[in-house]
Amino acid sequence: MIPLQTSNTLPDWAALAPAIILAVTALALFLIDSIDPNDESPSMLAGVATLGSVLAMVVTGWYLVAGTGMPRTGGAIELFSGQLVVDGMSLFFTFIFTSVTALVCVASYDYLSGRPNQAEYYALVLLAATGMSVMASANSLATAFVALELSSLPSYGLVAYLKNDRGSVEAGLKYFLIGAVSSAVLAYGISLVYASAGVLELAAIAEALGAGIDNTGVLGVGILMVAGGFAFKTASVPFHFWAPEAYEGAPAPVSGFLSSASKAAGFVLAFRVFVTAFPLDVVAGTIDWALAFTVLALVTMTLGNFAAATQDKVKRMLAYSSIGHAGYALIGIAVLTGTADQSYALGASMLHLFVYGFMNTGAFLFVALVEYWGVGRTFEDYNGLAKQAPVACFAMTIFLFSLAGLPIGGGALSKWALLSATASAATLSAYLLAAALIVNSALSLFYYSRVVKAMWIEDPAGDFEVSSYPTGLYAAVVGAAIVTFLLLPAFGVVSGTAFDAAAALF
Amino acid sequence: MGNPWIAIGALALVGLLIPVGMMVISKLLRPSVPEQGKRSTYESGEVPTGDTRIRFNIQYYMVALLFVIFDIETVLIFPWTVIYRSALENGVGLTRVLAPMLVFVGILVVGLGWAWRNGAVKWVRSPRAEKRKDAR
Repeated sequence: MIPLQTSNTLPDWAALAPAIILAVTALALFLIDSIDPNDESPSMLAGVATLGSVLAMVVTGWYLVAGTGMPRTGGAIELFSGQLVVDGMSLFFTFIFTSVTALVCVASYDYLSGRPNQAEYYALVLLAATGMSVMASANSLATAFVALELSSLPSYGLVAYLKNDRGSVEAGLKYFLIGAVSSAVLAYGISLVYASAGVLELAAIAEALGAGIDNTGVLGVGILMVAGGFAFKTASVPFHFWAPEAYEGAPAPVSGFLSSASKAAGFVLAFRVFVTAFPLDVVAGTIDWALAFTVLALVTMTLGNFAAATQDKVKRMLAYSSIGHAGYALIGIAVLTGTADQSYALGASMLHLFVYGFMNTGAFLFVALVEYWGVGRTFEDYNGLAKQAPVACFAMTIFLFSLAGLPIGGGALSKWALLSATASAATLSAYLLAAALIVNSALSLFYYSRVVKAMWIEDPAGDFEVSSYPTGLYAAVVGAAIVTFLLLPAFGVVSGTAFDAAAALF
Repeated sequence: MGNPWIAIGALALVGLLIPVGMMVISKLLRPSVPEQGKRSTYESGEVPTGDTRIRFNIQYYMVALLFVIFDIETVLIFPWTVIYRSALENGVGLTRVLAPMLVFVGILVVGLGWAWRNGAVKWVRSPRAEKRKDAR
């Protein structure tokens, strides 16, 4: 047993405190709803949900600063005989999930006002967040699968939350069906990996594979299917096609939650499983997954960005751009070949997901604000919004330019880190990825600017009056904008943690 | 010995050949007498009423869901009860044996309580059936 050296009074299981806090908050919400099911007291429910996620975020931040589970305090903390592990990477990603959850809960207060079943909504958000933080800690394929389901099942319900809205219900059904198929693919892939390795714990799999196995074909198919299962969660090719439908039909805060936190959860699982269980030097004879991820990254970012450029609805554009960003984040795992600075590449991906968590959630929350006002969904409907709501539109401008990679938010630096990761790999496929990253970013600037142009330059089509300025949504949008902007000067603080966390994995 | 997969291939082949062969042979032997009665769902059985697309009451689904939850709960509690006494006798502390199961059951109780309060286990009454009963 490795003691938690931040403070010797804390037992080992306390390293899971963020996940426990999230789960307890969800149960507390159910209790509140049980005591009085008919009384919809939104401020109480939103307050409890926000408090729980902020508390989990603060604890995670404290652990990150104190160095829980990191090499300087005695290495990763293994729990339940190595089924779960708490280290720098799991804490780094849990910080992303909890901060996105907090933003979404604050914003939902206004978005949901007057709707039924609010307690269930917040409870599902927190349960999904619990699943994500367990995914970040999963150290065996069995816990990985269970955690992935724990985060997926509430998400299906959340997408279909507006149950009298056809778009929302249709989106929920499509998301559920594709989710069920990809879960089956993942489970079958895990069974094939188990058939060849005979163990489920990640480090033990690498050991068993290193010792030599007979049926490499079965293993290769298994690894590919596991990758497919993760592709669903990260919304990348070949399981990306649910994303535009689900993000467009879902309530906008849920779209922000799924496209930022849920995507990051898929990536943390992919990073840990492929780096720990299937190291390239061990499985190189069976399958070169770096090549597979290179192809997936290229296709994902190109498809996402080209599809986004042709959309006429803002939310759908953001959905496709979110697929494009999954492609960027895949670069970190695609260049993990021998010559690259591996921990730098992985760290760059983690940083991009971190910045993306704030800027993308912010952008979707701005869409939530616009939906709250009852403005339409197309680019033309955004015309002249800046005259009525300059603060929110300024925040949206920061998000969009940061997503495109302009140096107005942390997005510029995280893309730069990805670019230099490909440069350090210095192989043909890495240069191809770099070129695709640059071309796609340039293309994305075009369609992000369309929104900015509509908001600031175009004249409003009708005489639309913004009637109210909801506090919760504004607080979330402006908060996300401030963090996105602050990540530009404070990038070094986060990047140090990310690179250390990534290095601990190798 | 050859490749063990040959046996599986042979099994698949036989499994395919027997039913297909039976159908082909009976097709060759039997006389063809087309008749309306042969097309019904249950030939020489009940005459079907209505088609297959019936709406079931959502309550059946709720009950089934609650059943599945308790079914799995039983499956997980059962091995725990089997080792409970011997674990205690071998010096494992009471809290270490009992507390995780209490937490597990407690979480399920919160869920059940919530479902109960929100009317998941309350059987919906049909107003039409009530009226018919009163009129009688």
